[in-house]
Amino acid sequence: MKPKPVLAAALLALASCGGPGPADSETVTAARNLPAAVRYDQYGSAGNLAPPAEDLVNPFNGEPSATQQGEVLFGAMNCDGCHGGGGLGFVGPSLVDGRWRYGGEDGALFHSIFYGRSHGMPAYGGLLSDATVWQLVTYIRSQPVPGVVPTVAWP
Amino acid sequence: MTTTIGLRAVIGTLMLTTALASAVHAQDDGQWTRPGKDLGATRYSGLDEITAANVGRLRPTWTFSTGVLGGHEGQPLVVDDTLYAVTPYPNVLYAFDLSKEDYPLRYKYRPDVNPASVGVACCDAVNRGAVYAEGKIVYNLLDGRTVAVDAESGRELWKTKVADLTKGETITMAPLVVGDRVLVGASGGEYGIHGWIKGLDLVTGEVVWTARNMGPDSVVLATPGTFKPYYDTGTDLALNSWSGDSWQRGGAPVWGWLSYDPELDLVYYGTGNPGPYNAEQRSGDNKWSSSLLARRPSDGELVWAYQFTPNDNWDYDSNAENILAELTIDGRSRSVLVHFDKNGFAYTLDRATGELLVAEPFVHVNWAERVDLATGRPVVDPTKLTGKSRGMVRNICPNLEGGKSPASPASYSPKTGLFYVPTNNLCMDWQSGDAAYIQGTPYVSANIPYTAGPGGHLGAFIAWDATTGQRVWEIKEKFPVWSGSVVTAGDVTFYGTLDGWFKAADARTGESLWKFKVGSGVVGAPITYRGPDGKQYVAVYAGIGGDWFLIAGDVRSDDPADVRPPADFAPDLARYTSRGGMLWIFAL
Repeated sequence: MKPKPVLAAALLALASCGGPGPADSETVTAARNLPAAVRYDQYGSAGNLAPPAEDLVNPFNGEPSATQQGEVLFGAMNCDGCHGGGGLGFVGPSLVDGRWRYGGEDGALFHSIFYGRSHGMPAYGGLLSDATVWQLVTYIRSQPVPGVVPTVAWP
Repeated sequence: MTTTIGLRAVIGTLMLTTALASAVHAQDDGQWTRPGKDLGATRYSGLDEITAANVGRLRPTWTFSTGVLGGHEGQPLVVDDTLYAVTPYPNVLYAFDLSKEDYPLRYKYRPDVNPASVGVACCDAVNRGAVYAEGKIVYNLLDGRTVAVDAESGRELWKTKVADLTKGETITMAPLVVGDRVLVGASGGEYGIHGWIKGLDLVTGEVVWTARNMGPDSVVLATPGTFKPYYDTGTDLALNSWSGDSWQRGGAPVWGWLSYDPELDLVYYGTGNPGPYNAEQRSGDNKWSSSLLARRPSDGELVWAYQFTPNDNWDYDSNAENILAELTIDGRSRSVLVHFDKNGFAYTLDRATGELLVAEPFVHVNWAERVDLATGRPVVDPTKLTGKSRGMVRNICPNLEGGKSPASPASYSPKTGLFYVPTNNLCMDWQSGDAAYIQGTPYVSANIPYTAGPGGHLGAFIAWDATTGQRVWEIKEKFPVWSGSVVTAGDVTFYGTLDGWFKAADARTGESLWKFKVGSGVVGAPITYRGPDGKQYVAVYAGIGGDWFLIAGDVRSDDPADVRPPADFAPDLARYTSRGGMLWIFAL
């Protein structure tokens, strides 16, 4: 694991702005008593009804300053403690292998960080603001995905 | 195999200990009801059908796939004619009927374990086994609960939440039952927990007492007059040896093995590393992390404590087993406990007082010159100290996997007078950073590349004389030896290797006698028992995992896109093994 850079306490204490959902999706969510969710095209849908959709747009869209800030956060928020230095994978899954359990789009990544996931990913919503989560998303999406070589051979 | 001491020395010890052996281990009942076989955690069996002369004919008689990929640490139990096996997460309990052909299941107990625990366990979702007492099988679930199951029917009797997952606490250790107390502790030394051990009521499952490993005397359960550490005086030792309030998230988990002396009425356990890894964030000795504690099981009262590694700079957990033995040291018969620490020293202590009698390196050690028997403290090489301000510190031996992993328990034969110890030959570089405490997330911050130790082999299985602190024989292995061991009255000792061999050696000479490829690397501890048919059997789990799940590179076929580079100290481990749990049984 890489050492984590120090982060100003003020940044850690950024207040949450609550859930990100726009109003129309909130109506659907409330009607079904389900948490807000995002449409992930790669998911199967047995009922032929997609989960409530909302278009979460990353406001930073690959901005280098957001990527840099996200990298600092990746260490400071102990992301690397589980996902490994550079997000290679450790206790938690790799974030740079191009494969995603819960979707790798901007919105899916936002949800994973903000709400957490069931196999141990803690919810950072409430600890990090929306903007801060987007910086992490921007950093993760900026990482190059190495080509997977299907054959491993030994001499 | 290298013989480092003449056989004469061994035989000398032998003569002295044989009489004691027969007194302590009268007739072996052929069962295996506790994690370490007996209360002294010797992992010695009095069965002698399998001997050095005939073990070459050992063959597998039965196998079972547990259906679980996690690291299969720990050992099965055998009680009467039933064999009990606990899997890594999701912690299924299987009960096999040994009295029938094919050993059909009597039942399987499938607890509902919170899957979030998988992401909070530092080093794979392992479980180190169950304990049997008074008709109950008692074990721990990864998500922080202790459960008692009726051994006969598989019915759940009680389930108690003892650990708090949201604080980074999980449970991987095997409990011990002493009288009507169930003793359990939590993992989480990498998550900033406030380490503890608890005593539960065996009948109801209620928590009777909780003792912290650090903090004020009131929570450590240290009472002046009762608590008498051999090398320390004063009050609030476990509070004043931490800077500021660092003790509140200082780790000191309890994830290893427990032992108990009925005459002294003391239970012994080791504590894990202090956190975070950056020692400059917790200056002081950090008592009682990386320590050995002796408590009364009824009320948890602390009687003595000894710290192996003060202000641990190297993640040298002391969760290893404490094996109770009667040894003759300097011509005097002593009731001792023997502990092979991660820090590379083997310690022989008087188990009534905590007085250090022998402390010698059992692997290559360079972080300390020696341990001073007068003060009980290691003489540390200051160039090996770590901490953020020291940058990258090179070549520290042993590395944080330990000279011996606490997950890999040694065994002791009162017949040979020797300890049989799985060891690692690894070193490391260490760079600390500032760690920020965020509840329920890793509290570590360090970069620690591993290197091979001197000689190039990464591990060895050794025999140790704890009266003098000397290695008697050694079998070098290509990879770190991460299995436990067992030794028998037939003078055979068994262990397994990470590349998937299960092996037998002559307990007296260290001659390799037999091996069998069990499919996946062995990180479990073998047992031996007498079956309902009167024959002697040997059982072991295969299923690589634990730390090797994290650092070995691609041994995870369930993650075909693993992009981590293979560990550069062992680039080809994945050539020999992959994950997957199996239970194996062998007989002549």
